Amino acid sequence: MMVAKSAYALCAIALLAGCKAQEPANQANAVTPSAETQNAASAAPLTKDQALALMKAREHHMEAFADATKTIGNALKAPSPDAAPIRQSAAKIAELAPKLESWFPAGTGPDVGKTRAKAEIWQKPEDFALKAHDFNQAAQTFNLAATSGDLSQINASFEALGKSCKACHDLYRAPKKD
Amino acid sequence: MKQRVWDLPTRLFHWSLVLLVGLSWWTAETGRDALHLWFGYAVLFLILFRILWGFLGSSTARFSAFVRGPGAVVEYVRNRFRWPLAGHAPLGALSVIALLVLLSVQVGTGLFAVDEDGLFGGPFAHLVSVAASDNVTDLHEELFDWLLILIGLHVAAILVYRLALGRNLLGPMITGKADLPRGMEPMRPATPLVAIVCTVLALVATLWIVFGAPPFGS
Repeated sequence: MMVAKSAYALCAIALLAGCKAQEPANQANAVTPSAETQNAASAAPLTKDQALALMKAREHHMEAFADATKTIGNALKAPSPDAAPIRQSAAKIAELAPKLESWFPAGTGPDVGKTRAKAEIWQKPEDFALKAHDFNQAAQTFNLAATSGDLSQINASFEALGKSCKACHDLYRAPKKD
Repeated sequence: MKQRVWDLPTRLFHWSLVLLVGLSWWTAETGRDALHLWFGYAVLFLILFRILWGFLGSSTARFSAFVRGPGAVVEYVRNRFRWPLAGHAPLGALSVIALLVLLSVQVGTGLFAVDEDGLFGGPFAHLVSVAASDNVTDLHEELFDWLLILIGLHVAAILVYRLALGRNLLGPMITGKADLPRGMEPMRPATPLVAIVCTVLALVATLWIVFGAPPFGS
């Protein structure tokens, strides 16, 4: 029961992080919706099953972010932090972050299935894209710091990364319910 | 004639706890994690103080005066809710003990908990695995519902005493005084020095935990 609940919680986390990944990783500066997302929106709408599958995958991805930040947070509390778990988790976040916006195509909101992603995501796509963009920037910066091994840089950029998560969650993630 | 039943430290403890449980709930519900941590530390301090006060405090605050076996509860109910001593009667004592135990578990799990995004954690969260921390966090959330149930029972009992038995339990917890039946011994107060010692000890222990219990916490 507790395990089931934690699974819920993790899924929820994942959902919430809800920032659309509109830009491909290699166009980190562009904040316009990617062709892929636009096509998805204008082409045939998702079937219910497709949407639910996407939402479930989204939960897992968001859960991966939370696992990574928790691992990093724990490591950073040690008197002399262990570099390996920080580097691995930073790389994981940096790898997933550019895709985040693409996990939120139209038709995967709370009207379709159980999700903490708020409808506002699709009402304010430009702002959501901006938040996803900021998050990706912070994730790449943090990954660079983690690779460098400079502890003060790691701490500063991890804090900035946390703020970029929160900036989106505060607006676009519904409170946890169980 | 009104006589002393509850000392000032016990009353301050009680009403501070009411306020802090409310604030802790509010900060948890609204995602104010940094504040939630501080309110949790404040509850930790209160609990530690109350435990010390339960051994060293005034007569009615001492565990030895109100931790009793089930026999006392049965006798109390048979005796139509009459009890010959000032302070916690056996049923009320159960409520006090249950609330103190549950609040201790709440604070204890909070020390190992981590927020869902991994941005805030208790001072001991990094000492256990991420999975363990997540499980403890779920427990921390689920137990709050039980805490609400206990608080509900506590308040309901006070209303029943008031409406069905005509006894005012709320007033004495505010003023510290009650009309005692003739011959009933009032509270024997502890000295202010003992209260100061308990406060300082609880404060030092709380700070030690806030800073991660050095040197064991790293």
